[in-house]
Amino acid sequence: MDMFLYVDVESFVHRLDPRTKLLLMFLSFAVGVMFNNILILTAALALVVAYGALGRSLSNLKRIRVVLVMITLFSLVIWSIARPSGNRFLVFSVDGVLYGLMIAVKTNLMIVAGMIFLSTTKIEEIAQGLVKLKIPYRAAFAFSTAIRLVPMIVATSYTIIQAQKSRGLDLDSGNLIEKIRKYVPLMIPTLISVIRGTNIFSMALESKGFGYSDDRSNLLEIRMGGKDYAMMTAGLLILAAAVVLKVDHSIYDAWASIFPWGDFA
Amino acid sequence: MSGTKSIEVKGLSFTYKGEGAVRAVDSLDLDVERGEFIVIMGPSGAGKSTLANSLNGLIPGFIRGKYEGSVLVNGKEARSTPVNRMASEIGLVFQDFEAQLFSTNVNLEIAFGPENFAVDRAEIAARIEKILRTIKLEGFEGRQPATLSGGQKQRLAIGSVLATYPGIICMDEPTTDLDPVGKLGIFNIAKELHEDSEFTLIIIEHETEEALNADRLVIMKEGRIVAQGKPADVLRDVAFTDEVGIMSLQIPKLLSELGACGRDDLPMLPAEGAEFFARKGLFLDRERFREMLDRDEARERGYGDTIVAVDRLSHVYPNGNKAVDDISLVIREREFIAILGHNGSGKTTLVKHLNGLLSPSSGSVTICGKNTAEHSIFEIGKEIGYVFQNPDHQIFADTVFDEVAFSPKIRGCPAEEVSVRVQEALEAVDMAGYEEKDPFSLSKGERQRVAVASVLSARPRIIILDEPTTGLDYKEQKRMMELIKKLNDSGHTIIMITHTMWVVSEYAHRVAAIKDGKVMMDGRTRDVFAREKELYDSFLKTPHIVSLGNMLGGTVLSVEEMKYCTGGLE
Repeated sequence: MDMFLYVDVESFVHRLDPRTKLLLMFLSFAVGVMFNNILILTAALALVVAYGALGRSLSNLKRIRVVLVMITLFSLVIWSIARPSGNRFLVFSVDGVLYGLMIAVKTNLMIVAGMIFLSTTKIEEIAQGLVKLKIPYRAAFAFSTAIRLVPMIVATSYTIIQAQKSRGLDLDSGNLIEKIRKYVPLMIPTLISVIRGTNIFSMALESKGFGYSDDRSNLLEIRMGGKDYAMMTAGLLILAAAVVLKVDHSIYDAWASIFPWGDFA
Repeated sequence: MSGTKSIEVKGLSFTYKGEGAVRAVDSLDLDVERGEFIVIMGPSGAGKSTLANSLNGLIPGFIRGKYEGSVLVNGKEARSTPVNRMASEIGLVFQDFEAQLFSTNVNLEIAFGPENFAVDRAEIAARIEKILRTIKLEGFEGRQPATLSGGQKQRLAIGSVLATYPGIICMDEPTTDLDPVGKLGIFNIAKELHEDSEFTLIIIEHETEEALNADRLVIMKEGRIVAQGKPADVLRDVAFTDEVGIMSLQIPKLLSELGACGRDDLPMLPAEGAEFFARKGLFLDRERFREMLDRDEARERGYGDTIVAVDRLSHVYPNGNKAVDDISLVIREREFIAILGHNGSGKTTLVKHLNGLLSPSSGSVTICGKNTAEHSIFEIGKEIGYVFQNPDHQIFADTVFDEVAFSPKIRGCPAEEVSVRVQEALEAVDMAGYEEKDPFSLSKGERQRVAVASVLSARPRIIILDEPTTGLDYKEQKRMMELIKKLNDSGHTIIMITHTMWVVSEYAHRVAAIKDGKVMMDGRTRDVFAREKELYDSFLKTPHIVSLGNMLGGTVLSVEEMKYCTGGLE
């Protein structure tokens, strides 16, 4: 089973410098945090998805579609009950549904932006990009290693679940506390396997000369090019527009009035 | 050989932190000449890995403990040189290939070492090309390591270590987790590397038959070197190898136990053995051989009704890969069947259908009359137990008792019944008295037996074992197999996946070989092993004693059988 997030294809986005992609990801996060307006957030999400399509990485979104849908559903249900104001239909408030939708779009925007970054950037490029941003190599490597460990842990826990199910572990039955207790036979072997694996991993690293000198060469060449500056400029322009929108109330209100029910500024 | 020393180990002793006074390696001396190929063998706990990890300074730099003596590698003191500096002198390859690989693609994996030494880009590219040729992975440059087979992964691990151009490479049980094809790939690389007269090669290995290619064989036990010399000379002493606990070569074992031959003239290989038989007028006694065939038939008459019925089973994974392709298989109660096949042949996918972990894409699987598609794993699990390959993927409890009690408890047995079952299961695996022990403190062989016990406690009629002997030394393997034989004798139906051919020939009564999702051969072990050429074409090498028997005109399955059938002795 292929557990790795990186989508190994050629695309415009794949060829961008990792620093550019990192910046674009953080810009998406910034826009997500700045606004509480459904229209603006949806527009931002559409932009991010278009960028992902450019990077031929939307297939990865399919893999996390369950997560995205679950977040949306949870947000809708919880906020429609928890939101105090507005007209209610039974226990659900209409205002709450819209608020929940807004939060869902906001959260999914950030997840999708992060996913597209990981789908189009090799872990070595992430590490190298961070090094170029003056982050020490060891720290950059540790960060990229953490990303890589996730699929390893998922694969191991998959085997462990099968082994324990074969012994009669039934995860579906029982109340909440019983269910939590049932995860012990899964957690402990997973932890131990991961610890054992990382131990060998670090021995293998050292044995291949990791950390021999601070001066390290790189097989991959990352360099800022015209398309990087173009993308960064475009990104920063969008952010500037967003800031103007945020600061200048008259423009913001004009926008918000198109669909006033979806605005929670 | 240029005569200078690659490695000089003098008076090395090492005690792991927290292990009291037990010396993992005890006043060990070892010199290795430049260009030499040595194989190190010995039972678990002999200190082989400790020695390997001392060579590049992982001990004591990374793994702490009490260290005495000295290790010089190309004149560098391993103890005081940082491990990452040693990487340009000696490369270390570990058994667990999954944890050694971490890059996005094959090229980057190989580049990692040279990058650390700031080798420039053009030179790295040149090295990658050269190393891909050595490890036979040309054309795989852009592949993600996770998508490679086990053998390819281990070859890549070797390549990634070779890339810093060390003059020495040490592999710690590189083939243990590999299938026969994967193993062969590693041995071929070793042979090729050895052709370079300046390159020093050290391999820690369990397979006696492969040790014959080395310049020198070193046998370790309890932290010391107990014998070394030309492989043939060391292995000729069958009484000694038996005593140390490594697998003896079968031909010398047979002839020395028959008393047919003086120690110095013992033939080593099947062809030499057959030639010896002809020269001395020995032969395969037809009448006695017939008796064995009769015994096979008598056993088969004792089988019960059909207990596993696989009918036209196919399985297609979500990615479109058809792992099992129209397999039909009927297993009767009390059979002992071994499933052979390479990684990716579909054998694991097949057996995962038997207890309902996977559902058929088409066809059906019936266990004790229950269709697996209509019953839950929980219910099928009452009839069929599944011991996974790695016991560490299931052990979680604080005591052996709790571990073994897990299955009956979760099935709602009352406390008294639970302790009776635990008792019974632990006795079956020879581990009564271990109830209060912490399973994590046990040896690999003992953990494997706890895993079997924890399946037995559910009292299944059928037991599936996935590579039950992998990672165990010869004595532990033998013990595990005797245990499984005992379970079979007491009425359990056994389905075992394995790569270890001597285990199949000595213990399994029936063999099904799977290839590309189809059953290629299925029959009595004796009949399948008679088709040596066909097996060999699938990289399944029959044990030496079977090959000898085939040459003499009758398929024998163990040294004992051959001893019984040898005629013409004075």
